[in-house]
Amino acid sequence: MAMNHATRDYLLPCGRDVEQVWERLDEVDAGRADAHELGCPHCRATRESLLVLRGLTRELAEDDAEPSPDLTSRIMSAIRAEVRRRDLVPLASPEPGEVQVSDQAVAAVLRFAADSVDGVRARRCRVLPAPDITDPLAVNVELNLAIAHDFGSDSLDVVRERVTAAAGARVGLRLARLDLVVEDVYDA
Amino acid sequence: MTREQAPARQLVETVIAPPVIAAVAAHAAARVPGVVRLEPGLRGLAGSLTRIARQRIKGLEPAPTEGVRAFVEHDPPDVRVEIDLSLSGLDQAAATAQAVQRAVGKAVTEATGLTPSAVSVSILDIEIRGGLL
Repeated sequence: MAMNHATRDYLLPCGRDVEQVWERLDEVDAGRADAHELGCPHCRATRESLLVLRGLTRELAEDDAEPSPDLTSRIMSAIRAEVRRRDLVPLASPEPGEVQVSDQAVAAVLRFAADSVDGVRARRCRVLPAPDITDPLAVNVELNLAIAHDFGSDSLDVVRERVTAAAGARVGLRLARLDLVVEDVYDA
Repeated sequence: MTREQAPARQLVETVIAPPVIAAVAAHAAARVPGVVRLEPGLRGLAGSLTRIARQRIKGLEPAPTEGVRAFVEHDPPDVRVEIDLSLSGLDQAAATAQAVQRAVGKAVTEATGLTPSAVSVSILDIEIRGGLL
């Protein structure tokens, strides 16, 4: 490995330059030092410094450490939390301070409840604060569904029942309005 | 922050920094049944990593504060805590959040002598693995 030009012609008091000492590091290490190298204090001091430098640069060159999976997952989790923090709906609490829940968390619960009905696949779910200012804890929900082709029409009542129950029992929200939009049919 | 008269009639002031309150709150919140994890945002994560790095230089392992923001006012003394978390879907989210509010308020009061004027909880995720109904 050659030193860069900034170190060339850097003469030691003994007359040798640093480049020379660098190039002969391995030779001296292997016990093939010449008479000057064995006795010269300047060469010896330079050699010791260069060995330290070489050790450090090798360590850095070999360091292929990537961010730990733990750190990566924490960053991804933080990004997800950041997105979810944007749209929050309030929940009731008698304690001092607010309780809010992200609309995406509510949507996941309601979609899951709708999916529990045979022949139903929940798709998009929108959760919006109800315009009724007298009940700030109520929300409007629009839930898009795909249904099996043999799906009974009265089964939509079961979907409505389960989604409403899940909103109250699992989240603590009251649905002021629940719109079910059947947007597709699939083969069961 | 609390003020008290020391025996020699010297005014003593104890200052409790927000990370201390945040760490107490984080510990209490994480122990409430139904809480899956606390959720740091990007700003919270950056602040937490900086704090961890600073503490490690001193050879300390800092108590986690991720997902909790504590606000301390000195005059008049006031403490507010905000917590972002994820819950399991097995309990009602509102009830679990209220349990977190109570647990955090109690823990902060016991640990610092300061009663938070508000403990706000934001539920960012509800895990529904294993079923809901």
